[in-house]
Amino acid sequence: MKRLLAIARKELRHILRDPRSLLVALVMPAAMVVLYGYGIDTELRDLPLGILDEDRTEASRALIRRVLASEFIRDAGRIERRAEIEPAFRRERFRAVMVVPPGYGEAELGSSGARVSRADPARIQALSQASLPASNQAQVQLLIDGADASTAAIVESYLRAALAGAGRGAGEAGAPPADPRVRILFNPELESAHFIVPGLVAVILIMICALLTSIAITREKETGTMEQVLTTPVRPAQLVLGKVAPYLLIAIADAILVLAVGRIVFHVPMRGSWGALAGYSFLYLMVALGLGLLISTVARSQRVAMTVALVATMLPTIILSGFVFPFASMPWPLQALGRVIPATYYLPIIRGIMLTGRAWYPLEGAVLAGMAVLLLALSIRRFGTRLEA
Amino acid sequence: MDHAVKAEGLTRRFGDFTAVDRLDLAVAPGEIFGFLGANGAGKTTAIRMFCGLLAPSEGEAWIDGLSLSRSAEAIKQRIGYMSQRFSLYDDLTIEENIEFSGGIHGMPRAEIRRVGAALTARLGLERARGRLTREVPLGFKQRLALGCAALHRPRILFLDEPTGGVDPLARREFWDLIYETAAEGTTVFVTTHYMDEAEYCGRVSIMVRGRITALGSPAQLKRQTGGATMEEVFLRVVEGGGERGGILPAADGAGGASANGAMGPGANGGKEPNPGGARGEEA
Amino acid sequence: MQALRPIPFIVRKEFRQLFRDRALVGIVVFVPLVQLFLFGYAANTDLVDVRVALLDQDRSPESRALADAFYSSDVFVPGPPAASPGDLERFLVQREADVSIWIPPGYGERTASFARRSLTGTGDRGEAGAQVGVLVDGTNSSLAGRAAAYAAWIISQAASPPGAAQTAPLAARSRFFYNPELRSRDYMVPGIVVLIVTIISGLLTGMAVVREREIGTLEQLMVSPLTPGQLIAGKTIPFAILAFLDLALATLVAVLWFRLPFEGSAWLLAAGALVYLLVTLGLGLLASTVSSTQQQAMFTLWFFLIFAILMSGFFYPIENMPPGIRWLTYADPLRYMMKIVRGVFLRGATFADLWPQFAALGGMGLVIFSAAVWRFRKRVA
Repeated sequence: MKRLLAIARKELRHILRDPRSLLVALVMPAAMVVLYGYGIDTELRDLPLGILDEDRTEASRALIRRVLASEFIRDAGRIERRAEIEPAFRRERFRAVMVVPPGYGEAELGSSGARVSRADPARIQALSQASLPASNQAQVQLLIDGADASTAAIVESYLRAALAGAGRGAGEAGAPPADPRVRILFNPELESAHFIVPGLVAVILIMICALLTSIAITREKETGTMEQVLTTPVRPAQLVLGKVAPYLLIAIADAILVLAVGRIVFHVPMRGSWGALAGYSFLYLMVALGLGLLISTVARSQRVAMTVALVATMLPTIILSGFVFPFASMPWPLQALGRVIPATYYLPIIRGIMLTGRAWYPLEGAVLAGMAVLLLALSIRRFGTRLEA
Repeated sequence: MDHAVKAEGLTRRFGDFTAVDRLDLAVAPGEIFGFLGANGAGKTTAIRMFCGLLAPSEGEAWIDGLSLSRSAEAIKQRIGYMSQRFSLYDDLTIEENIEFSGGIHGMPRAEIRRVGAALTARLGLERARGRLTREVPLGFKQRLALGCAALHRPRILFLDEPTGGVDPLARREFWDLIYETAAEGTTVFVTTHYMDEAEYCGRVSIMVRGRITALGSPAQLKRQTGGATMEEVFLRVVEGGGERGGILPAADGAGGASANGAMGPGANGGKEPNPGGARGEEA
Repeated sequence: MQALRPIPFIVRKEFRQLFRDRALVGIVVFVPLVQLFLFGYAANTDLVDVRVALLDQDRSPESRALADAFYSSDVFVPGPPAASPGDLERFLVQREADVSIWIPPGYGERTASFARRSLTGTGDRGEAGAQVGVLVDGTNSSLAGRAAAYAAWIISQAASPPGAAQTAPLAARSRFFYNPELRSRDYMVPGIVVLIVTIISGLLTGMAVVREREIGTLEQLMVSPLTPGQLIAGKTIPFAILAFLDLALATLVAVLWFRLPFEGSAWLLAAGALVYLLVTLGLGLLASTVSSTQQQAMFTLWFFLIFAILMSGFFYPIENMPPGIRWLTYADPLRYMMKIVRGVFLRGATFADLWPQFAALGGMGLVIFSAAVWRFRKRVA
């Protein structure tokens, strides 16, 4: 035990004396949380909208005014001709262009007239059976930059809503046909930070544990000091655990740091029990550590360790676990891969505990525990048999 | 006469610590000059200044007649340097290391091939030339490092502990090479820990705590200190602490010039050197 | 020219070392491919397989029509059957459903009467139709928002009187430029290309220079007549070449395998890469002048990259960021390269369209590279 402490203490000194690794270990996670929390907002804002008014009537100007008044839209300028639209998109001057075609003003008056008139079953019949309503050529056109597919769809629905809202003010009395009462649970403000921060904890933990530990151990291999230590009566398990202990501490410190920033700056709720969170997080940490250790038994040089750690831990954690891209939207081979990743099981746990308050996750917990045991056992054994590795 | 290496008052400080203290030195062309001293005496720092790797805090030096402060770049073409670590690329073959060294010294491809082949043969590395450097024995690496330093036919070779960790046979063979090189007119400036190697040098200097406290041919130094071997000479000089007079020739002598004034107070209570040789050795 | 003569030797040495180091070959070839495939296939933020738990307490033809509308949409799939209102919230907590719909008794009647009113123009037109409860799991904010909006839309549509939608004068036609099928991948993959080029040219260069310092060969280089300029050229050219090779490889995979569009000119892409390389190589060099070990170099660059990637518009559009952060992105070279790459791939942009990006990168590159060379000289001398 004493030897273990000696090794741990030395490793801690290494870390503390190197400001660069401290930077990565402590400053970066906090900064990441703040930046990601503020920077990522899936709600639309400041949408640069271009306007082409081909109608130039009072009605069209009124419509444009009302649309531009929407909160999420920014008036990015007018264009005069249709030919200007494409170049403007190429230059990314606009995200969307609204074209009010000639004849809009007239059609607007005409059709609302149709609605207000008394019931004429024949007329209604005719109208409802028309495949294209008579007012078609006066339809407003929305041209949207589709390059960014996910937000393009959102942009379209928002613009339609803005249009509908603008239209309502034109005098059409329109009560909605149905009144969906939408209630959003767990995150009523749809704060992205609530979603991102727990995910960040998972990413940071695995980064610290897998990436840093594997690099630390291979660095000793590269400089030859590993050999030195192995000639002493230190047993492989002691060596491994001793080296790993400081990183465990740092990881825990990081997790607390990230969560604290999340709560204080972004008011991410904590509806569950801290004990449960700590317990499951510790499990996840063990898995991450096991991964880091395993990588270090495989890697001969720091560069290799870094590459493998990146490819095998960070990338999949970010991409495949459901952190950024929804799990269900991935093709099934990637989903299968995703199921092998610890973060895929940890994310629902930490999100669940923080946002929904649910405390018991038997399935995910069991998987994580299994992974931890497997990885740790494997790496300790490899350390024992490949002494010079 | 143009000295190969000349230093006047060369000083280098690191913060409070003075690594090289007002070094005065002159080495004649074609000499094999042994630059000795205890660990931490400042030898490597001095050599690095001569090679242009480190700027002096004070003082001046001239390499092959060129001023270090003004013509540093031109000097680099005329010197070769072999560092303690050999500074070879482990993942290149012997051949490739030679080729690279020639290339960075601006030698044309054809010349590199010609000279490199001859050099490889002369160094006895002919058969191993296609092997990766990390896979060859230490003696090979040592000779390769020398070859890389000498390929472009420098006027002066600076060798910093070139024989570290190598067996005695290899060391002797290495020194044969040094002799050959010097015979061709190259000045060889070498540091070493092995006092028997100091015997091979034309003249040696001994540095203690940043200052030269002994300078002369091995024979001269033995006479002056009463040591029978260079090892004894070394011990006496170093333990003497280097105060008061030291063992320095007068302001004449073969290529010699003034050396550090040794008027400073002694550092520790070491025995004062007794030039007369109080320890009876001449039986 | 005499001054250029040493450079090919340095370049050749670097390549020899590179190819003998299997780890590096992995980084240069394997990692970019993995990134491409992972992102290319995983990048999909479309709403799919949203599990909906439905409680129909009305059991009228209208309510069944509404239920059908949900199940037949390509977004929602059936979740567990709900027996009581309490179930609805519980399913969300237990993560067995993502959306819960509650159709209260009386839905059918009120829907029908609303339809009558709007068609005949009688009655209180301000009175809304039936209420429907929608409960959404808000954990994933972006999905939740869209799922809620979509659910609301389905409900409105299902309850609308037939033909009403078509007579609304404000129905708009929409058309998507550049990505009519709205594939997320088309947006992501060009971003990966930028990432790949950045890592190869920045990270690897920095580490390569520091490695010489670590193993002690840098000294030999310093003692030789090599000028700092020659050394820098020799060290950066190999990685520039590799970066270009990776760029070509990634582009080929993107276009041939993922069938990404490539509307613009390859030359423009290459030119953009060239200017961008000035920046990334400079950054790698700069990092090497402040690091004594490879690990330090890696950490330094890593620190910078994590933030630069986030702020480049790779994952999330820059417009969505709050103004303060958006200003920061102007200092991020990746932001400009993203625009160039996406512009060339997706929009067929020409130099006339992209010159601001080129100018920004060129300016940055000159500054950063000069700073790097200057610091390099100082450390050498």
